[in-house]
Parts: sequence; structure tokens; C-alpha cells
Amino acid sequence: MMNFINLLMAGLATGAIYALVAIGFTLLWQTSQTINFAQGEFVMVPAFFVLAALNVGMPLPLALLVGLALSMLVLGVLFKRLLVDPMLRHGVLPLAICTMALSIFLKETVKEVYSAEASPFPSFLPGGNLNLLGATISIQSISIFVFAICAVVALQTFLTKTSTGRQMQATAQNPYVAKLLGVPVERMIMYTFLINAALVALASFLISPVYLAKFSAGETLGLAAFIAAIVGGFNQIRGAIVGGLLLGVIDNLAAAYISTQYRGAVPLFLLIAVILFRPQGLMGRAEERTV
Amino acid sequence: MTQPVLSVRDIVAGYGEMTILNGTTFDVMPGTITTVIGPNGAGKSTVFKTIFGMLKARTGSIHFKGTDITNAPPRKLLALGLCYVPQGRNIFPELNVLSNLELGGIAASADVNIPQRIEAVLERFPVLRRKGQQQAGTLSGGEQKLLEIARSLLLDPQLMLIDEPSIGLSPMMVQEVFSIIKELRAKGVSVLMIEQNARSALEISDDGLVLELGRTRMQDRAQTLLNDPRVGQLFLGGVIEEKSA
Ligand SMILES: Nc1ncnc2c1ncn2[C@@H]1O[C@H](COP(=O)(O)OP(=O)(O)OP(=O)(O)O)[C@@H](O)[C@H]1O
Ligand SMILES: [Mg+2]
Repeated sequence: MMNFINLLMAGLATGAIYALVAIGFTLLWQTSQTINFAQGEFVMVPAFFVLAALNVGMPLPLALLVGLALSMLVLGVLFKRLLVDPMLRHGVLPLAICTMALSIFLKETVKEVYSAEASPFPSFLPGGNLNLLGATISIQSISIFVFAICAVVALQTFLTKTSTGRQMQATAQNPYVAKLLGVPVERMIMYTFLINAALVALASFLISPVYLAKFSAGETLGLAAFIAAIVGGFNQIRGAIVGGLLLGVIDNLAAAYISTQYRGAVPLFLLIAVILFRPQGLMGRAEERTV
Repeated sequence: MTQPVLSVRDIVAGYGEMTILNGTTFDVMPGTITTVIGPNGAGKSTVFKTIFGMLKARTGSIHFKGTDITNAPPRKLLALGLCYVPQGRNIFPELNVLSNLELGGIAASADVNIPQRIEAVLERFPVLRRKGQQQAGTLSGGEQKLLEIARSLLLDPQLMLIDEPSIGLSPMMVQEVFSIIKELRAKGVSVLMIEQNARSALEISDDGLVLELGRTRMQDRAQTLLNDPRVGQLFLGGVIEEKSA
């Protein structure tokens, strides 16, 4: 039983990280029809920005800030300006293929420039274990979960309670009409890329202390976020949250109770089941776009 | 002679290589309802998109209250007092009704009291107040049209472009929309309307114009067009229309 609770907690922690990545993925899709197959690598890269900053002697909090800023610049602004804007003119598919190329490019670059080895990554959250009624619970899992959920709540509040947030939602739901009303649609799309960059950076800072920083770390993460987004309905932030948490928990439980070998297959089963029985996703609506 | 509130001169515009408008020219007089009729694909909606800066006019000019607004962006047009309710559904389905409404005030200049305008509009459309917290996508088609109209009234426009407002609405809702349009005229707002429902639209209009292949075929008093046998045959359910339909 205790083991189960610990697994559940660890699952929720990973799941909350998946949710962050899946939300970013969903936001990009909603506002700019970008299917970012490099999303996993986007989570891998910020950790190396931070490691580089630490290597030149910065203290951890500053290094994290630098990592966040560089992520927003490179994975937000430059990604949009240099890759998405020029490619989207040719269509959604050419852009998606380019992001696959980008994912390989990012992996190889990190491997060449930094190292092919996994590097330990410092955590900025409290670690250790908590003894609760004779049970041992990982504080790290709890703090990751709480931190990620706070980030999601902050994002949701921004999107629903501020005028800019609502203009972003309007842009995602109907860019043509948003433009008619005078919403600066281009700027809203740029904000989405910045938010995605911040989300992946956050995910990176949370997960790297657990699974280490490695050039290939994005492979499973990208797939997990992709599946979480689809399972959740692809066009819904709520869906991405539910999808992420569900996937994290199932993933951890499957590894413990079924077999580590089949661990990778379980999310795919979940994906297939959802596509077969509920193609619009757990929370999604059928997509409807006005022309 | 009163000056037209909107004056469209020799507009040429289209999509990509395709030219749809071939020198469209017409005027809208202040305080009138002007209805645009014409066969499907004549370019009626294209005219509206071009006036509202969503499609580039290659040549020609558009003036609103004497100001040149050719190819001006929507934000500027809204601030000048022009608004546009396009064909079809143009709401944000997952935002609630009030948020949808508020988005109509994005382009307002700093001196406009938006909360006060929202209050005034809700006063006129009580159904929107009642359903204010509901997701806009849950409204009926007619209520969504009312929401779009209400949203476009938020900036107190002097000219409203409205494209096929009656399409897909129940007969009662059509009456409601038409009476709102008449009410706007009574307040001095000019309305330029595209309508498939040509007879009912011309009956409430002052002026009318017939658009064909991107050109203005006729522009006259609505009454004159209603009595014109050519118009009758083509657009008002005359012989030819019935046979081809
Ligand atoms: N976005 C677009 N891209 C390319 N062609 C378009 C586009 N929108 C309209 N057209 C074409 O332009 C022509 C005029 O279209 P428009 O929508 O202006 O016609 P309309 O007079 O409003 O017709 P309807 O009564 O069907 O609404 C049509 O041939 C149409 O196929
Ligand atoms: Mg049309």
C-alpha cells in the first residue's frame, strides 16, 4: 500500500511535468497550427543552458533565470521567427517535418557541444523524505507536483482573467474574427511561443534533477507530451492537464506492477484506446473551424 | 447635397491571382439602410472584406466620412466608427458571453468608457446578460447573431456592415434582427447589409444595389429596385430564379 502511494505520488509528479509540456504543445497547435515534434528536445535544452551558466560560475537562482531567458529567446522568439513563420507559409505538414529535423539538430548539437554523457542537475526544490504516520514519502515528488500545478493555475488565471489572456484565447479560437475586432493577432501568437518556451524551461528544471540532463532526454518526454495532448483532446488546456497526469500515473504504475520492459508500450495502448473509442480525446470537442 | 458616409470607388480586389471585384463603385448615404443583392459568388462578401481591410484593394479608393480608409487595418476602422458583422458564426465558442462581448472593445480609444458601453448594450440585449457566464458556443444560432451585433455596437459605430444576418435563423429571429437594424437607422446609424432574403431586406431598406461579377449593376432606391422587373426575375423569386433553383 505504501509503495502504491509513493508510486502514485511519483506518477503525479512526472504527470504534472508532462502536463506542462503538453499544455505548451496544445497552445502552439491552437494559435499557430504548429505541431512541434521537437517539443521533447525543447525540454532537454534549457537544462543545458543552466549547466552552461553554472559552469561560468553563476549561482543556481541566477543560472535558472538565465536559462529561462535564453529558452524564451531561442525556443520562443527564434523558433518562431526563423522556422515557424517561413515554413507555415508552405503548410502545416512541411512545418511539422521541419520540427522533426529541428529535434535531431538540437540533440546532435547538445551532444557535440556539451557531452554525450548524462549530467547531474541541481534541484531548486526541497528534497529528502517525509515520514508520515510511519510511511516514507518523497518530498521531491510532492514539491514537483505542487510547483507544476501552481504554474498551471497561474497560466490559467492569466488566460482567463486578464485582457491579454482573453485576446490570446480569442486568437486561438478564431484568429480571423480576433483580427476583425482589432486584436493584435501576431503579437498574441508570439506570446504563445514565449509561454511555451517558459513551460518547457520549467519542465526542464523540474525533471532534470530526477532523470539527469542528457541529450537524448527529450525522446520519451516528447512522446509522452504528444500522447498526453492527444489523449486530453489536443485542443484543450484542461485536456492536456488530465492527459499528462493520467499518463504519468499509468506510466509509473505500469513500470512497477506490469514490467519495466512494457513500460514504454502502455502509453501507446492508452493512445490507441482513446483514438478508437473517443477520437476527440477525453476532454476535447470535435474540431470545428469557420472558413 | 449630403455627403455619403461611405464611398467606394473603382475597387479591384481578389484572392491571389484571381480578380473578383472589377471596379466596384457605390455610395452609402448617412442614416440609411442600403442592401446589396446579387447572385452567389458575385463578390458581395468580398466587397465587405475589402472595405474592412481584410483583403487588399489593388486599385480604387474607399472613403468613410470623408477620410481615406483604403486598406486601413480593422483596428483603425473600428476606432473611426465602422463595424463589421461577417457571414456565418463569428464568436469565440469557448469564452463566455461577457468575455465575447468585451472583446468588441479592444480597439476603443482610451477615452471610451467600456464598462458603461457594455452596460448599455446589455440593457438592450437582456438575453446576453442572462446568459453572460455561459460559454458562447452554447447559445442558439440566433442568440449568437445577437451577440455578434451587440459586440459590434460596443464602440458606438456610425456605419455597420452586416453580411447575411438572417441566414440560418428562425423566421422570428429574422424579424428580431431586422427590427434591430431599423432601430439602428432610427438612431442615425447607417447600415450596409448583404441579404439573400432580398425582398424582405429591400422592404426595410432605403437604397439597394445589385452586384454582378464584381461590378455594380444597378444602384437605386430600394423601392425602385423592388418594382424593377429585371430585379424581380433574378433575385426576388421571379420566373428565372424558380426554374434555375
Ligand atoms: N477566401 C477565398 N479564397 C479564394 N476564393 C474565394 C475566397 N472567398 C471567396 N472566394 C471566391 O470569390 C468569389 C466571390 O465570393 P463572395 O464570397 O464574395 O461571394 P458572395 O457574393 O458573397 O456569394 P454568396 O452569396 O455565396 O455569399 C467566389 O467565386 C468565391 O468562390
Ligand atoms: Mg457572401
